[in-house]
Amino acid sequence: MIINHTLRKVGQLIINMFICIFSISCVYPIAWIFYSSLKESSEFNRDIIALPQSLNFDNYIKAFQNSNLAKYSFNSLFNATVSTTIIIILAFILAYFISRFNFKGRKILYIMFLFGMLVPVHALLIPIFIQFKNAGFFNKRFTLILPYVAFGLPFTLFLLESYLNGVPKELDEAAMIDGSGLSRTMFTIILPLCKPMLVAVGILSFFGNWNEFSFALVLINSDKYKTVSLALQSFSGQYATDYPTQMAAMVVAIAPVLVLYLIFNKKIIEGMAEGAVKG
Amino acid sequence: MINDSLKPSKRQFLLFLGIPVIWYSFVVLLPVFGAIRYSFFDWSGGPNMEAVGFANYMDILQDDLFWRSLKNNLVIILYCIIGQIGIALVLSALLQSKFIKFKKIHRSVIFFPVVLSSVVIGFVWTIIYNKDYGLLNWLLSTLNLDFLIHPYLDDPKTILLFVSIPLIWKYIGYYMVLLLSGMSTIPTSVLEMSEIDGATGWRKLVYIIFPLIKSTIIVCIMLCIAGNMKIFDHILVMTGGGPGTSSMVLAIYAYKQSFVKYKLGYGSAASVLILIISLGIVLTTRYIAGREKSDN
Repeated sequence: MIINHTLRKVGQLIINMFICIFSISCVYPIAWIFYSSLKESSEFNRDIIALPQSLNFDNYIKAFQNSNLAKYSFNSLFNATVSTTIIIILAFILAYFISRFNFKGRKILYIMFLFGMLVPVHALLIPIFIQFKNAGFFNKRFTLILPYVAFGLPFTLFLLESYLNGVPKELDEAAMIDGSGLSRTMFTIILPLCKPMLVAVGILSFFGNWNEFSFALVLINSDKYKTVSLALQSFSGQYATDYPTQMAAMVVAIAPVLVLYLIFNKKIIEGMAEGAVKG
Repeated sequence: MINDSLKPSKRQFLLFLGIPVIWYSFVVLLPVFGAIRYSFFDWSGGPNMEAVGFANYMDILQDDLFWRSLKNNLVIILYCIIGQIGIALVLSALLQSKFIKFKKIHRSVIFFPVVLSSVVIGFVWTIIYNKDYGLLNWLLSTLNLDFLIHPYLDDPKTILLFVSIPLIWKYIGYYMVLLLSGMSTIPTSVLEMSEIDGATGWRKLVYIIFPLIKSTIIVCIMLCIAGNMKIFDHILVMTGGGPGTSSMVLAIYAYKQSFVKYKLGYGSAASVLILIISLGIVLTTRYIAGREKSDN
C-alpha cells in the first residue's frame, strides 16, 4: 500500500513537472525575444541564452530611428481600434436582430455570415485587390478597415448571438411593452448585460486586426499606411544578421497584445469557452 | 424569439441591418463573384482583358505545382490534427485531474501563443530554427543531442514538418480551451463512477472522456481543416514556399501567380478552386460528422 502510494505521488509529480515544462515552452521563446532585444549584438553572439548584462535600449532606438516604426505602430493601432469598435457595434446589432426577431431572410442572413467563417481569406485576396483598385479604395486611410470589419463580423456575431440567446427575451418584451423603443431597448437595456462577452470578443477582434498581415500586404504599398506586420517583414531583410534589432521590432509588434492579454486573459478564455460550448 | 407584435418596422430593419449587410456583401460576397468572372480572362491588370473560357482552369489542373501545393496543405492538416488536437486532448485531460497544480495559470499560459500573429510566430520560429543563434540547436547541444541538429528550413524532405511545428505550437492552447469546455459539460458523477469502477489515466480518457466529447472533437477537427486550408502568413515569412517549391501551399501559390507573376485571371481561377476545395472538404467533414452523430 505504502509503495503504491509513493509511486502514485511520484507519478503525479512527474506529470505536474511535464505540464510545467510544457507551459514554459509556450512562453519562453517570447521571453527570450524580449530579453535578447536588450542585448548588444556582440553580447547576443557570445551567448544566446544568457540574460542581458545591462538594460540597453539601443536596439529600440535603432529600430525607431532607422525606420518609420512609430508611424507603422500608429497605423496598426488606428486600424485595430476603429475596426474593432465598428465590428462590436455592427455585430451586436446583427446578433440582436437574429436572436430576437423572426423575420423573412433571417436564415439567409445567418448562412451568409456563416459562409464568411468558412471562406478562406486568401481565396478572396486577389478579387478584393482588383475590386478595391477599381473602386479607388487602394492605399487609403480606410482601406484596411473595410476587410477587417467584414471578416471580423462573422466570428463576433456568432459568439454574441449565442450569448444573447441566454439573455431572457422577457426583458426586452417587458421594456418594449413599457414603451421603450427598439434602439433604447437594444443599447441601454440589453447591451450592458452583454458586457462580459463584448469585452472578450472586443479584445479578440482587436488582436486579429492588430496582427493582420495578408490584406495589408496586398492592399497597402504606400509607406504612409503600412502596418507593424509589414514593418517586421522589411526589418528581417534590412537587419538580416542583426538579430537583437529585429527582436526589438518584434517586441513592438507583440507588446500591445501581451499587455492586453495579461489584463484580460481570464475574460478572453472564458468568452471563447462559452461560445464553444453553446455554439 | 420576441413576440411578432413587437417586431420592428421595415424602416428600422433597413436602418439597422442595411449598413452591415452592404458592407459585408461588398467585401466578402461581391469578390466571390468577381473571382469567378475574372477567372475566365487572361489578364495582367492592364486594360487588355482577353476572354479565354476555361483555359485558366485547364492550365491550373495540369500544373504540377498546384497539385503539390494541395498535397502540402493536406499533409500540414494531418500534422496539425495529430499535433494540435492530439496534444490538446492529452493536456486537457490532465488539466481535468485533481492532482494538477496551478491549472488556471497553465491554461492562460498555454493559450498565450494563440493571440500572437502568424507573422510574429513565423519570425520567432525562424530565429529559433537558426543554425548558429537558434534556441533549438542550443537546446539540442546542451542535451548532447548534436546528432539531431538539422538544417531545419533548408531540407525539402522535412520542411513541411518544420513549418507545421510553429503552427502546432500556436494553436494547442486554442483546442485545449475548446476541449476543456467540452469536458466541463461531462457530469462529475460520471467521472467519479468510472474511477470507482477502476478506470484511471489512459483508460478514463479513451473509454469515458473521449466518447463523451466526440462532438467537440469533431468541431475541433473541422476548425483545424478549415484553418489549415488558409495557412499563408507564417509560411510566407519563414520560407516563402521554399526551398524551391517544397513548402508551397495553395494560398501562396495563388498569391505568387497574381502578385509576383501578374497573372490576375489565372490567380482568380486558382482562388475559385481554393474556395471550392476548402468548402468541399469542410462540408464533407461536416456531413460525415453529422451522419455519425445520428448513428449514435
